[in-house]
Amino acid sequence: MVWESGGKASGTRGRTATGDDPVLKERFERDVLPLLPSLYSAALRLTRNPTDAEDLVQETYLRAYRGFGGFSEGTNVRAWMYRILTNTFINAYRKKQREPVTVQDENGEDWYLFDKLGESGVEASAESTVLDRIPDEDVQNALEALPDGFRMAVLLADVEGFSYKEIAEILEVPIGTVMSRLHRGRRALEKALWETVRERGLVSD
Amino acid sequence: MLDLLDLYLDGELEGPERAHIEAHLGECGPCMDRSDFQQRLRALLKEKCGCDEVPSDLMERVHDLLGETPTEPVS
Repeated sequence: MVWESGGKASGTRGRTATGDDPVLKERFERDVLPLLPSLYSAALRLTRNPTDAEDLVQETYLRAYRGFGGFSEGTNVRAWMYRILTNTFINAYRKKQREPVTVQDENGEDWYLFDKLGESGVEASAESTVLDRIPDEDVQNALEALPDGFRMAVLLADVEGFSYKEIAEILEVPIGTVMSRLHRGRRALEKALWETVRERGLVSD
Repeated sequence: MLDLLDLYLDGELEGPERAHIEAHLGECGPCMDRSDFQQRLRALLKEKCGCDEVPSDLMERVHDLLGETPTEPVS
């Protein structure tokens, strides 16, 4: 993937309004810099590789730094940064994924990992302990396998803890769309985790 | 669509609706198990997908950005 203006050089050219204003710069360092670790994790889940994730985060910070003068203090800076991150990702990625996500079983009922574990003989109240035995990478892969729109909704809600309203603003879609993507994304994610659980032999079939 | 339990666990319910769910969970073991599971799943995602170590060169790249003093006019 090639970012529009990725690479080290892009960060050192051009005027940044924030850089001219010490107060603004200090506020940026105080409010925006600490978000770097969570933005990097989110970027990894979006791009699925460290090199692109680093470029995405750098580009996000560059855009934010340049636009910070127009950002009013007291508003939701975290949501603002995620909006820049997801926008930058979508623009650079360009390809609109419209893969169907299957999240219903043959009977047309919603698909829940909890029910599958119960059906496979996991004792009541012990379903959660199965989750703890799933390797980290498998959890990450399950999330990263979701199509963009679903992945972003689940990431913003479940990993970052944003409210539906915040997610709607970040992704610039109606709340109903957020809820539908969350529902379908989570069901697909649980289905992927179920595959893992079976392949790893964490339950007896 | 998301069900009431999702809305509750996502912190999107308030007042009577929230109280109603909480009362039900308090007296219904199977629903409580399901609720615990969905909550654990959210926590799992947060732990495994949100705590990657930041590469030191990215730290540097971002800090370089802030240290920049603009020398070129806007084109």
